[in-house]
Amino acid sequence: MTINGVVETDFPEDFIEEIEKSSDVLPKKIDANPKNVEKGLAKLVLTLIELIRKLLEKQAMRRVEAGSLSDEQIENMGETLMKLENKMEELQQIFGLKDEELNLNLGPLGDLM
Amino acid sequence: MELYIYGIIDSSGRMVESIRGLEGADVYNIPYCDIGVVVSKFTKSPTQNTTKDCVLAHEEVIERLMEYFTVLPVRFHTVFDGRDGVVSLMQSYYKDFRDNLDRLRNKVEFGIKVIWPSDKIKEHIINTYKKSDKKVSVLSDSSNQRFIRDKFEKFKLDEEFQKKAYKFIKVMDIFFSKFAAEKKLKKLKTESLLLDAVYLVEKDKQDDFKEAFEHIKSPHASFKFLFSGPWPPYNFVILPKKSDLLKDPEQEDLFDKVIQHRDLIGANKI
Repeated sequence: MTINGVVETDFPEDFIEEIEKSSDVLPKKIDANPKNVEKGLAKLVLTLIELIRKLLEKQAMRRVEAGSLSDEQIENMGETLMKLENKMEELQQIFGLKDEELNLNLGPLGDLM
Repeated sequence: MELYIYGIIDSSGRMVESIRGLEGADVYNIPYCDIGVVVSKFTKSPTQNTTKDCVLAHEEVIERLMEYFTVLPVRFHTVFDGRDGVVSLMQSYYKDFRDNLDRLRNKVEFGIKVIWPSDKIKEHIINTYKKSDKKVSVLSDSSNQRFIRDKFEKFKLDEEFQKKAYKFIKVMDIFFSKFAAEKKLKKLKTESLLLDAVYLVEKDKQDDFKEAFEHIKSPHASFKFLFSGPWPPYNFVILPKKSDLLKDPEQEDLFDKVIQHRDLIGANKI
């Protein structure tokens, strides 16, 4: 055999595990069929809501970090973000979706989140 | 008759030596202008399971070709329906293939993967954060404010984790880039997989590149490294438009990589 390329590592099992972990999370294509169309749509919609929720949360943390919020504003923001998070968990449970499923593979651009 | 494609080469001549491909079939060149498509006759379904032997057979043909030609390695299990299909492909993409062949002449690909001790790094960040004065102060201890405090802590820890990761990657990449013509980096694909990179290296700089890897490896004892190559430049073929000639929608990217399969197989062999 004339294969010149070599794979050198002292930790083959660790790399196999990580490679499999990174490639198994998201399917390359959305598996939509009449039986799971509801779940497929829910996954898509909840992914977009989750993206917006995370962006809101990040923006809120930036404001907390800047120290520009009053105690009352922190209180209100906490309540809003907590309710949003609880609602998302509720919807995920209804449609049987795990946290890691709420993502989209954007091909060469990588994953959405 | 179906044809299995291995790669596109910068020659329209015959094979210099006899090469056997998948199913033990003869490998030959279908010329188009001054380049060619290297194929063999194929009878099995392209959707059949990927086996270790098939991947190695595909890889072996490409590496044999690399001894004589510049090769654009085609995705594993790319099958065309007869010579006409192959010629149509060449008519549509000749200029792109020609440009890639010129760009990749005398270059090979190396893969580098790095696992870092993410748990220890996180632990260190948490300890440092606890001692710092960056903690968010909340006046009351209501559940809403506690929620924000916890979120803020997580936000700061994630931010610091990413900062550290990018710092390490930058140091390593500066070293490798000295000897590379092109590169593609994937950072933090998982929390532990710090770096999954491929570098395009000129053949006469292979030893320097390998030496750079050894230099990076030795001072990072708690990191785990995987070095692979030299490989055909699977990750560096640039095709601006997608082929509508491919009958199988699964094969939408002609130059997709065989790297993951190969690394897994290679790692298993150690």
